[in-house]
Amino acid sequence: MDEFYPSLAQCALVAGALKILLFPAYKSTDFEVHRNWLAITDSLPVSEWYYEKTSEWTLDYPPFFAYFEWTLAQVARLVDPAMLRVFNLEYDSWQTVYFQRTTVIVTEIMLVYALQLFIESAPLLQKRTAQITALSVILSPGLLIIDHIHFQYNGAMYGLLIWSLVLARCKSTLLQSGLVFAALLCFKHIYLYLAPAYFVFLLRTYCLSTKSIFRIKFLNCAKIGTGLIAILGAAFGPFVAMNQIPQLFSRLFPFARGLCHAYWAPNVWALYSFADRVLISLAPRLGLEIKAEALQSVTRGLVGDTAFAVLPDISPRVCFLLTLFFQSLPLAKLFLAASPTWEDFIGAVTLCGYSSFLFGWHVHEKAILLVIFPFSLIALRDRRHFGAFKPLTVAGHVSLFPLLFTSAEFPIKTVYTIFWLVLFLMVFERMAPAAKKPRVFLLDRFSTLYIAICIPLIAYTSLFHQILFGDNYEFLPLMFTSAYAAIGVVGSWIGYMVVYFTS
Amino acid sequence: MAGSSPTPHKPRRKGKKPGNVTEKPLRTRVANATLVRAPSFPLAAFLWPARRSSSQWEVLPLVLMVVGLFRWAAGLWGYSGFQRPPMFGDYEAQRHWMEVTTHLPVSQWYFHDLQWWGLDYPPLTAYHSWVLGKVGALINPDWFALYTSRGIEDPNLKVFMRATVFVSEYLTYVPAAVVFVRRYSRHNSISQWTGSVALVAILMQPSTILIDHVHFQYNTVMLGLVLASMSSMLAERYKWAAVFFVGALGFKQMALYYAFTVFAYLLGRCIFPLNISRLFGITLVTIVSFAALVLPILLGTYYDVYRKVNPGNEADGPPSELPIFTALAQYLDTKAFYYPIVQQIIQIIHRVFPFARGLFEDKVANFWCALNVIVKLKSFPPELLQKGAAAATLLSIIPPNLVTFIRPKKETLPLAFATTAWGFFLFSFQVHEKSVLLPLMPMTLLLAGRQGLEWETRAWVGFANLLGAWTMFPLLQRVDLAVPYGVLTLLWAYLLGLPPTTWSVYTEGAMTWSKIITLVTHSVFYVAMIAWHFVQAYLAPPLNKPDLWTVANVGVGVVGFGLCYLWCFWKLVSHSDLVSSTKKTQ
Repeated sequence: MDEFYPSLAQCALVAGALKILLFPAYKSTDFEVHRNWLAITDSLPVSEWYYEKTSEWTLDYPPFFAYFEWTLAQVARLVDPAMLRVFNLEYDSWQTVYFQRTTVIVTEIMLVYALQLFIESAPLLQKRTAQITALSVILSPGLLIIDHIHFQYNGAMYGLLIWSLVLARCKSTLLQSGLVFAALLCFKHIYLYLAPAYFVFLLRTYCLSTKSIFRIKFLNCAKIGTGLIAILGAAFGPFVAMNQIPQLFSRLFPFARGLCHAYWAPNVWALYSFADRVLISLAPRLGLEIKAEALQSVTRGLVGDTAFAVLPDISPRVCFLLTLFFQSLPLAKLFLAASPTWEDFIGAVTLCGYSSFLFGWHVHEKAILLVIFPFSLIALRDRRHFGAFKPLTVAGHVSLFPLLFTSAEFPIKTVYTIFWLVLFLMVFERMAPAAKKPRVFLLDRFSTLYIAICIPLIAYTSLFHQILFGDNYEFLPLMFTSAYAAIGVVGSWIGYMVVYFTS
Repeated sequence: MAGSSPTPHKPRRKGKKPGNVTEKPLRTRVANATLVRAPSFPLAAFLWPARRSSSQWEVLPLVLMVVGLFRWAAGLWGYSGFQRPPMFGDYEAQRHWMEVTTHLPVSQWYFHDLQWWGLDYPPLTAYHSWVLGKVGALINPDWFALYTSRGIEDPNLKVFMRATVFVSEYLTYVPAAVVFVRRYSRHNSISQWTGSVALVAILMQPSTILIDHVHFQYNTVMLGLVLASMSSMLAERYKWAAVFFVGALGFKQMALYYAFTVFAYLLGRCIFPLNISRLFGITLVTIVSFAALVLPILLGTYYDVYRKVNPGNEADGPPSELPIFTALAQYLDTKAFYYPIVQQIIQIIHRVFPFARGLFEDKVANFWCALNVIVKLKSFPPELLQKGAAAATLLSIIPPNLVTFIRPKKETLPLAFATTAWGFFLFSFQVHEKSVLLPLMPMTLLLAGRQGLEWETRAWVGFANLLGAWTMFPLLQRVDLAVPYGVLTLLWAYLLGLPPTTWSVYTEGAMTWSKIITLVTHSVFYVAMIAWHFVQAYLAPPLNKPDLWTVANVGVGVVGFGLCYLWCFWKLVSHSDLVSSTKKTQ
């Protein structure tokens, strides 16, 4: 059996070299957030972790992540103890930068490991596509932009997710898969969006008999129950003992935030806001009423709290119900299938990610990776899957561009993303086998046109807007980017829904 | 991409798993024997999937994007002179030239304040600075304001300056390298894929990226023009070769390192067989291009005479006499119409070739600097040293150029350039650490030649490049650039399967005596380099010898470069069919 080149490790190594060169690049406030967490976990007793508020960037990740920061802090102490002082706000000596950037690169090994398992677990005939998929994930421009420039630890977190997804591939490791995912939830609770798919899949394949959904496998239920209690206990136990759970949860779920994040994530609400914007100018002609107090807030476009001028306001409850409804559709199919395959499961995870991203409350554009990575694992199944995947890759990555707004990083984010898109769309195009069923959609024509539009869009947002309007109408480029990306994500979602329910 | 799918609704392939186990064709087409079964070094692995693609146009854009990313990312680090008043560094020099050329009358360019980075590069650099200064002033005129902008440290200016290096390189060096590799590998009947591997290796050369995109300079423009000249020689367009080479000389006088080879090769091509019209044509084109090169300055000088603008600016006062060639003055009439031109040209020569400076400036891995450790050269009269340096240089370059002249062969072109440049680097005076880029460039081109990726060439080219980057470490470390140095050199060594990442280049295949000798020699140097890094990082030099580590670096460097000179010369001789075709070493 031939090996395929380049290998995952080779790619990770060369990408690592580029990431080290990016040390002096722009870093967002997330850098300070994580430095502050290092300081909190290192210098304060556990009982004060979720109460400390010297910095505005309070600890708002679950306990495992806090433990993780504590572990890092043990090394950080040897590098530069000054970064571990809570009052040392905005501290960024070069040692601190080198250290924190290095930890991101090193912890990404989790992702490399998970992807290696993914390649190894693939059936013999799919090894090659699995390898290409793995390469596309490890070289993802999303991770480069978010982790290695903007600063976060998504590489390690998505490593855990993919590890858990890979473990679900084999009947014998279903339990581990569930437990790894539970641990992941205790690292970063954003993955709750995917939890329904796990719940249904494990319930169907692990806790209930394959023959009938009314026959319960009690032993398996006991196993997974004990495991979950152990993991959740390790994470939240100390805080239960200290009676801090309400405080902890108020930190983890700050419902006070607005519908749209500071930048609009490319979801349904971005389109909704866009429609509202358009309606403001059309309202006098259509005879619609404009809420005057909302107008002020809307024209800024950069504020977190969006009020709508023409269209009705959206409450968190509406978001929640819509998310749940669109999650329940694929989950129902997953549950009712006689024996759901791993591909069905990944599809359900992807669709859960889609619906929470598209309809969720206060969604951040970084959350698009929640859709892209699970989808990547099955994008090469056939050309129908790939057809739905294509606009998502373009939209998802272009929507990350506003995260980096400094001129020095502009060439990095655009050239790297274009490189990735050209390379992997070209290779995927060749690798994706023909579908067994004919494609229903005109999706391919749509997506070609769609991809072509992104070039003038990037040119406009990064250059021509500045020339035409100077610093006025700052919200316009952001609005165009979000609306454009939202169309792509919604289109790809609809496309994949069709694929999922017809296959 | 997506547009390439002509019939998107029809399955284009029947087979379920295309390109899998069943498909292993075209192996035979790959010419290089060791590259057949599996990639023998990581760079080959990265391009492995592209072996089957028939078109270079799929690989090339991706390659250019990747090497561009590494360049730009490296550029995020500091530049020479960053936050180092009072004089700052090369970055300030280049920026200052943009300031001078865009604000002062042409005739004053070469007379302006020498002490603050006076313009001391030939006219093409001045024009280049003028263009960049004009473009930059559109964005922010403060960047190049006369006098007030000295030592400016605006982060946006840094982005602009980095972009100018990037664009300049992508307009000269990169296309020249692409075309050269294409022509050279085709001439050597090397597969296109192998050529692509060599191209990436050439474009990822650590020294070039470190000096131009990190430390800051525009060497790649000059190197690119030389490369263009070389590839014109391959294409037998000798007049173009002359034009490009005059351009290189006009951009940076350092191109003189190659001048003898260009001359020997072109003359050889005109004499064997005799072709007088070609010789005449080349001479004419050379003269015309030189004239075109200085014409704008001369016209500017006349215009300034007409406007009654004095070439010397207020600070220096009007230059009453010639700086050099003072003997000429008695034959010249300072009132004559030709005098401003003569004065201007002599001033340019004076600035561009500072004969008055010493034998060597800094610690550089060249023969004289190394000799200085044993014999204190300062005790000798400078004229004697200059003559000695000239004699030694000539002695080292005459043999390779004689070979080039007698056997002007396309295959040996990079070897001829490299040998001469090594000779200059080792023995001429006024050598700078950065000048090692000149011999490295043609030597690295050997990767695109016959058996270029086989162990011997790869080992020697790799050795020269890593040693070259290593001798520049003190220069880079002075401005806190150790990290990009480490990343880019180790990455390149890794990609080409070289020490210190792996010794596999010496161990693959059958062992021969030459291989063992190379292995031992190179290993001694690699071990010395690694040990040196540890020593200089963790041990302070003895108090009475503060430069000891740098001197050790120079000592190791000069011996290694000497070996590279000898190897290039040996290869040049053995590939030139001088002795007889039967005794050719393979």
